[in-house]
Amino acid sequence: MKEATSSGGGGGGGAGVNDPRQPSTARQYTPPKLSPQDLPIDYAGFLAVVFGVLGVMLRYKVCSWIAIIFCAQSLVNMKNFENDLKQLSMAFM
Amino acid sequence: MATASSIRPPRAALVLLLLALSFSLTLAAHFEGFGSDDLHSAHADAASADDEDDEGLDVELPPPPRISLSTSTPSPPVTTTTTTTSAPNPNPDPNPTLTPPNSTPTLDLWDEDEFEGIPVPEAASSDESSTPAEAAPSDPAADAAAEAAPAPPRRPAELLRAYTVEIACVSFLICFLLNYFTGKRQNEAIALAWATRFATRDSIFDKNFSLLGTGDGKDTPLLMKEGQDVFKFYASGRRYCQGMLATMEMRARHDLLSKLVELVFPRKDTITFEVVMNEEAMDHVMLAVARKKAAKTMQKEERDLQKFAGVLTSAPAGRRWVADELAVVAESKEVAGDMITEAVLDQVLGDKAFEKFGKWFISLHFSDQLAGSYKKVLSFKFVLPDASNMAEMTRLVALVPYYIDLVGRYKLSNHARSKTEAARTKAAQEAFREQQGLRQEALQRKKAEKKKLMEEAEAKLSAEALRKKEEKERARQMKKSMPKVKMLRS
Repeated sequence: MKEATSSGGGGGGGAGVNDPRQPSTARQYTPPKLSPQDLPIDYAGFLAVVFGVLGVMLRYKVCSWIAIIFCAQSLVNMKNFENDLKQLSMAFM
Repeated sequence: MATASSIRPPRAALVLLLLALSFSLTLAAHFEGFGSDDLHSAHADAASADDEDDEGLDVELPPPPRISLSTSTPSPPVTTTTTTTSAPNPNPDPNPTLTPPNSTPTLDLWDEDEFEGIPVPEAASSDESSTPAEAAPSDPAADAAAEAAPAPPRRPAELLRAYTVEIACVSFLICFLLNYFTGKRQNEAIALAWATRFATRDSIFDKNFSLLGTGDGKDTPLLMKEGQDVFKFYASGRRYCQGMLATMEMRARHDLLSKLVELVFPRKDTITFEVVMNEEAMDHVMLAVARKKAAKTMQKEERDLQKFAGVLTSAPAGRRWVADELAVVAESKEVAGDMITEAVLDQVLGDKAFEKFGKWFISLHFSDQLAGSYKKVLSFKFVLPDASNMAEMTRLVALVPYYIDLVGRYKLSNHARSKTEAARTKAAQEAFREQQGLRQEALQRKKAEKKKLMEEAEAKLSAEALRKKEEKERARQMKKSMPKVKMLRS
């Protein structure tokens, strides 16, 4: 139904008859290249590091706990797991 | 350095650091145990003045006897004697055989037992000071083990107070984990509902695009999951355009902390369609439609709009126009009038339709001068409904193919075209000039560098030349002096 209105309004004639699809022009998706600098800042990870250092320096265990929580958050918010999984497993070992 | 490490790739390093941290935490626990022991022994010393009189200046000694005491707690009378300050002193003598094996155990145990033996009034005070020392073991399992070891269990209230932080944090982490799974499922449900509604067989995108999904279109999943809250849908193979990328940005339902933040700053699930048009299929079209406030910020922040377009203050004469809440940013009235057709007004942007569907609409933005890697892009931004109400945004999604056709066929009138052409050439000239300036600057810098190099080389060269000259001179002088010698010889 939407199709009809869209092609009718846009074409003004003959558009509805044609199939808009053109398999020959289809091109596969290429993910945009992103450099590490362009990624948004991982605030959770940053806070985790800050609190971790504070916890070690001042011996406040609350700080260390907060660091662990923020670390969990940063892990959860991670994008593109394939990239990091190897590094992660290595880190855990 | 901290900011550098906060960027994504070093995440592994972060995990490492936290691991190290937890190690150091347990280490710190030992150290704290030490410190508090000294404290307590000092405490005890203060309490038992006689003790010091008898034992001399040795501060370390008094506690060990008390261990032996507390391990031998089965005999209650002895523990009661500890209330009297002089009690520890006689004891070391009677059971020296007991002390050696008992003084060897780890300091932690020794610490706990000490408190067991101490009577109630003192225990209360010492318990408070001891909490930081005892609460240090970070693992709940370790806590349980430590609890289980001493025979007489402590009161639950005390335990609660001692481990408040641990209990709070661990329970928060558990909640966090549970929320992660439920939130993840919710987000996936919404994305799947969208995909089944609009991208399966005989649905709107299937009828318009020959390739759906990010793979080769055969057996690949339609949606690409980029994070727990970002899903992407790609389609290609349609006239007038190269491809379309729909990006769903969900609320961070999987992240409990972000959820809490969202309580204060509410967010909505959004979907953005970006259609890359063919180079030849898009004329000079520059148009944006959004709510009034958003339109103003768009006009200020988007570079192309800022350069070429302005907010239209009045509707084209004698026409029905968009709803009152909306504002149109366009290069010229003609383009705006041609792009916002009666059909669109009927379907979405008109007064009546907008009442019903306006809550799902955020913005439209068509541009042939976009700053990114693609210049000619149509982008549509909508709010994503719940998984159950997905049908409500059907009309909005239908705008996408409609506008691809409309913009693809659209040709500006000659009059408008000359104007836009002039603006674009002007902008292009500006950009070119800017680039040229940059290039010239780079060139000049290069030149200066070259000059510097040359000068340096020359300096080196001249030094060498000088040396050569000197050598020659010397040689000549030698030659001059040589014949004389020869002469003399002959």
